[in-house]
Amino acid sequence: MGIVACPAPVQGANAANMFEKSLYDLIRGMRNHKGNEREYIQNCLKECRAEIRSQDLDLKATAMLKLVYLEMFGHDMSWASFHVLEVMASPKYHQKRVGYLGAVQSFRPDTEVLMLATNLLKKDLTGASTTTIALPIVALPHLITPSLALSTLSDLLPRLSHSNATIRKKTIVTLYRLALVFPETLRAAWPKIKEKLMDTREDPSVTAAIVNVVCEFSWRRPNDFLPLAPRLFELLVDSGNNWMAIKLIKLFATLTPLEPRLVRKLLPPLTEIIRSTPAMSLLYECINGIIQGGILGSGDDDDGREEIASLCVSKLRSMIMVDGDPNLKYVALLAFNKIVVTHPWLVAQQEDVILECIDSTDISIRIKSLDLVQGMVSSENLISIVSRLMRQLKSASPENGRNAAVDPTDLDSDEEALEETINPRQKNDGQSQPLPDDYRADVINRILNMCSRNNYSNLTDFEWYIDILTQLVRMAPLPRPTNDLEPASGSKSNIGDASERIGDELRNVTVKVHAIRPACIEAANAILEQFNKDAPSGHPVTSGAVKPIAWVIGEFATETVSPDDSLGSLLQLIPRVTSPESLAACLQAATKVFSLIAGDSIAPWTPERKSMISLLMARIIHVFEPLAMHPNLEVQERAVEFIELLKLTAEAVSGQDAAGEASDYAPLLLTQAMPSLFVGWELKSVAASAQKNVPFPEGLDLDEPINPNLNSLLANAQPLSMPAEEADEFEIYYSKRPPPTSIVSEPAINRLVESREEAASSYQQQPTEDAYLDPDILARRKAERRERNKDDPFYIGEGSSLTGTSTPIHNILQNSNGPDLDVDSIPIMELDLNKLNAGISGSVPSQSRKAPRPKPPRQKIVIAADENLAGSGGSTPRHYDSENNSDSFTKSRAKQLKQSVLLGVDSTNIGSLNLEAEPDSRGYDYEAQQREEAEMARAMKEVERLRLEMQRANERIQVAQGVDAEGAVVKKKAKKKKPTAAAPAEGEGDSGAAVKAKKKKKKVAVPADDGPGDKDQQTPAPPEGGGRKCWGNPRP
Amino acid sequence: MINAVLVFNGQGQPRLTKFYTQLETSIQQRLISEIFTLVSNRPDGACNFLPLPPILAASGTSHSASEPHNDVPSLVTYRHYATLYFIIISTSTESPLALLDLIQVYVESLDKLFENVCELDLIFNFETLHSALSEMIVGGVVIETNMDRIVSGVKAQGTVAKRPVNEARPSGLGAGLGGTFVWPGR
Repeated sequence: MGIVACPAPVQGANAANMFEKSLYDLIRGMRNHKGNEREYIQNCLKECRAEIRSQDLDLKATAMLKLVYLEMFGHDMSWASFHVLEVMASPKYHQKRVGYLGAVQSFRPDTEVLMLATNLLKKDLTGASTTTIALPIVALPHLITPSLALSTLSDLLPRLSHSNATIRKKTIVTLYRLALVFPETLRAAWPKIKEKLMDTREDPSVTAAIVNVVCEFSWRRPNDFLPLAPRLFELLVDSGNNWMAIKLIKLFATLTPLEPRLVRKLLPPLTEIIRSTPAMSLLYECINGIIQGGILGSGDDDDGREEIASLCVSKLRSMIMVDGDPNLKYVALLAFNKIVVTHPWLVAQQEDVILECIDSTDISIRIKSLDLVQGMVSSENLISIVSRLMRQLKSASPENGRNAAVDPTDLDSDEEALEETINPRQKNDGQSQPLPDDYRADVINRILNMCSRNNYSNLTDFEWYIDILTQLVRMAPLPRPTNDLEPASGSKSNIGDASERIGDELRNVTVKVHAIRPACIEAANAILEQFNKDAPSGHPVTSGAVKPIAWVIGEFATETVSPDDSLGSLLQLIPRVTSPESLAACLQAATKVFSLIAGDSIAPWTPERKSMISLLMARIIHVFEPLAMHPNLEVQERAVEFIELLKLTAEAVSGQDAAGEASDYAPLLLTQAMPSLFVGWELKSVAASAQKNVPFPEGLDLDEPINPNLNSLLANAQPLSMPAEEADEFEIYYSKRPPPTSIVSEPAINRLVESREEAASSYQQQPTEDAYLDPDILARRKAERRERNKDDPFYIGEGSSLTGTSTPIHNILQNSNGPDLDVDSIPIMELDLNKLNAGISGSVPSQSRKAPRPKPPRQKIVIAADENLAGSGGSTPRHYDSENNSDSFTKSRAKQLKQSVLLGVDSTNIGSLNLEAEPDSRGYDYEAQQREEAEMARAMKEVERLRLEMQRANERIQVAQGVDAEGAVVKKKAKKKKPTAAAPAEGEGDSGAAVKAKKKKKKVAVPADDGPGDKDQQTPAPPEGGGRKCWGNPRP
Repeated sequence: MINAVLVFNGQGQPRLTKFYTQLETSIQQRLISEIFTLVSNRPDGACNFLPLPPILAASGTSHSASEPHNDVPSLVTYRHYATLYFIIISTSTESPLALLDLIQVYVESLDKLFENVCELDLIFNFETLHSALSEMIVGGVVIETNMDRIVSGVKAQGTVAKRPVNEARPSGLGAGLGGTFVWPGR
């Protein structure tokens, strides 16, 4: 293929190195080694390692270019950072450029050689050719540290008045990045930048760059830029540059809140742009700017504002609705997301179109609309919104979805988008994409958030919610089942959390809403059975919902309809549960249910009962026994405890004769001891902040060892008597009243209205239930409804019963109204329901008749608030995850984030700088300067250390290669010479000459062949004397 | 500001990576592969904006739609040309639609530099890719959007290598660059 003939981008290899690979060869090689690419690349890396140590700069640069290319594919090149410096110092432009590219791509905050680069950067900044000057200017934003900023600032500032516009605008941006890490930069640079901005003769692209930078600054410190407003306004009106106009509008959006008078000035040009511009991006940003700048909101005097408000919102609305461009849909939602913070009512008006977007095929659009919807939820629309999401989840369950071809061509996309907006529903049903698991987990989380917000204040129908939860458990994405028998704890991700959260919700409702508890427990049992049924036997059950659901069943076993069935499904489930936490909860639950079944102290002790209980215990022991060796300590401990307890009880049972006589009692261990382990105070939900309010007991020292002799005590302990003793402790614990100060003794839940039978809810508004609930859940709902309404004289039964029991009046009505009559909509029903619920009837009927769409009758359900300590200043709002203590977790994570966000640029320093202040006022922080100096001193020390190290390393190499003794001479020289002293001298002017004069003995490498465009690069720039050898070319 | 510019092909092989803040190589790679997963699963007719990849969503503030923080990357914009995806990660101070235009300007500039540019040109001349980008964006701030200036800026740095003559040449990006492709919103 004529490899030799092909010119490589960097054609450096001389005749001796003909066999070396160029970048071109490397890429060709990678393409030709498909399959064993990895091996090939490793070989190349090895070659590069050798080549980069070469004295030949061409070879070095080529190797560097190859490394940079491989770095793109993830092959670390941090080890080569010193060589990057060498190539950066090359006198030839095309080599220097490769070096700078290497630095930009590979230097990290911890790259140590960066200190050594300072002088090189300073030198290149003062170079003669514009292309050379541009290199350090462009590279600096990637490398910048406070000390580097301090030392390069003096060289950068003069570049602001460079004759070349490109240099000027690049310098402006670099100064901005400098200011981010070292705010004092701005004090020196800002007057000059401002001058450039004001200068009408300045190159327009430089002005645009300044506007971009000012826009970045402005949201941090808008006050400083208010004086610029007239000039900026001028630019907005006159400029033909759309990019700059967009930035100006964004800039004004941050300024108008500070200077309301700007609004009147801005409105005419903005409306003019909105009417006239052909650029959609500019139009969008105008609207966005108007809304964000608070121009809509204040509306005190002008009628024009009303006009522009409706203009903007209608434009955004039409972006979502009419236009066939999905991008516009997305950005309109983005704008709404910003508006909703300040103008929620404007967004609420657009509910209909936003809800449509939830069903979009595009996940980006869906997520944005979900963000919005989450904020718009009220008790009126909650059910319809959740229904939509549920339908989406159901239709996109993995088994329903099909794989879509992944090759969208843009031409088609516009047409398809057009189709999509015309008939979104149809399209959605026709081809529902399989949704990614994390998106489904996200939707589930949002459903739960919406429903549980403000302690379930938006939820009117808890039975519906329980059905939703039951359905969600089935649809929740499961953690990938592991093929091996290993527990899947290693791969636990946020996907597993979704199913756990659903379970947690069910548990929360069970605990908090007393009225609905029986239904919850029933649902929990159903879910448990479902787990057993769904997963094929032998397969593990991985759902995170097992844990909370098992807890519910165990804790509220007394209210279970059939405890035997619950115990049966628990025992069936236990061998298949993999997660240790779930397993522990299941063990506890099974024992609780057993103690309920067996612990009846009144029933006679008959032979049947005796044998039944013995069998049950044998079965439980059989299930628990394998877990006594479980690797997880918690599971192991519980299993062992319960096995021993059960064995003891079994002994007692077998010892107790059961002749069926009245004098025979069940063994006390069974009827007294076991139940007392689990019976105690009812558990309530406790606010997350309650723990913090627990007063710290006096004299408690947590660091003090409980018993200095603990180890020997443990060694001597007799393990056999454990179970019985433990039972006693529990009994004492549970039967003792807690001290009165600790927890509010009168729980809110006791004030619950016991009105479950009366509680009725409206179902007429959800005709789409069958769209998202599974048939069995639906059937159950129907049956429940029928059951509940059986005795309600105002409820008109369903089809079959209607004809049977109908009175003549019914017949007449039916005949006159025709078969289409919707019986359910007869208003009298609702009125009566209201009356029933309200208890005190009065004006209720007339009111609800007036209302165009009556509110769903609110169930008389009291939701227990989180408990808190008395005197802790009221209860905190409920967070769904308060029980996981994740509040403090997120908080601490947020704190961490402040320090370092991935890819984020921290600009907090900028905000605190006082621009206008004189240097001698308090704006100039003396302490900061001191700190800076200290840092400089440290940096210098570090440089010295590194330099010596490198020098030594280099010597070793040179000695090994048998180089002449001149290296030694240089070393002596370097030791005498302080690098700090050399630095400023080299920084300015003809450094080559200066160095030459100072160190006569040193051979100054004069490049034999000058590359194009680097006449000024007589000498490579050695930052320090000692490092010189590394840069100098060996003598020809 | 712009946090990163990425170019990769339909198989997820990077052709250009430029991060305007320093980032560990391994994290860079993870970010690229996460974005590639997102971008390659886009349905027909989807918009050109991606949801935040998990690695950014976890470290950033995906939930804070109500209070956007301007220092945090919050927008991932992409465009698809022939075999290549062009991606810009940016904060909320950038205009999403304008970024789409910016990518277009970048690709058109490359097309001018290489004359009917195709992926091969970009593979073998990734240095030119970098220098064209640095004429448009410095330190995450856009400095130039005029195509002619960008092209002349790159040419001033030296001659742009032509693609090797003996390489087989698949259909170029330029095929999509004609009048048909210009995004209607521009």
